[in-house]
Amino acid sequence: MLILSRKLNESIVIDGRIIVKVVRVDGDTVKLGISAPTEVPIHRQEVYEEIQLNNKAALTKGPRIVPKLSAARPTEAPATPLPAGTPA
Amino acid sequence: MNVAESMEPSAVLGACESQIRLPYGLLGFEQILDFVLVANPGEEPFQWLQVKDDPNLAFLVLSPFTVMPDYRPDLPEGEIAFLKLKGPEDAVVFNIVTMTGMGQATLNLKGPIVVNRHTQVGRQVIPTNAAQYSVCHPLSTSVA
Repeated sequence: MLILSRKLNESIVIDGRIIVKVVRVDGDTVKLGISAPTEVPIHRQEVYEEIQLNNKAALTKGPRIVPKLSAARPTEAPATPLPAGTPA
Repeated sequence: MNVAESMEPSAVLGACESQIRLPYGLLGFEQILDFVLVANPGEEPFQWLQVKDDPNLAFLVLSPFTVMPDYRPDLPEGEIAFLKLKGPEDAVVFNIVTMTGMGQATLNLKGPIVVNRHTQVGRQVIPTNAAQYSVCHPLSTSVA
């Protein structure tokens, strides 16, 4: 991995078309500004990996099973928890 | 741009089978670009996003608005430009369903597939408001 030191407001250029600039440094958080052509996908790695894993789990190779949606719309869990001591 | 309810994949793309091109594939499947969206009778509102070159491979998809009418993925500017969307009405949105066993299923609301209905070109996008949506939103299912 290439490691470069950059100061606030300094940038790096990737492939002559992508610019990554250090916009703000605040404790352990670094804010980056990225200029890239619209066709270049840019994602936070953890979000990207979460969706990637989900896609892999969703790929259907065998029998095609379709879930039955219940007529009622999905409802949220009960808003108010049961009082303490309520029998299960 | 905020894409909303007007976009029903089945209603918009019409025919039982529509060709869809995802020039960047799906996340984790960047090499697969060409798909056929298949609507089978009796399986509504679900559809299959089938790999064109290998019909054994498919993803189950669903219009998110059928289960979550207030779903509002906010598309980044770059995606709007890439997809050549002139307005929300140009976009068709569907989300990938994951079967989790025992007839249960979840919907990925964090990575919707957005297709321009005119060009049939789409992309799996990460909306700017993705943090408020789950990658595995439980679908309310009933055992047949």
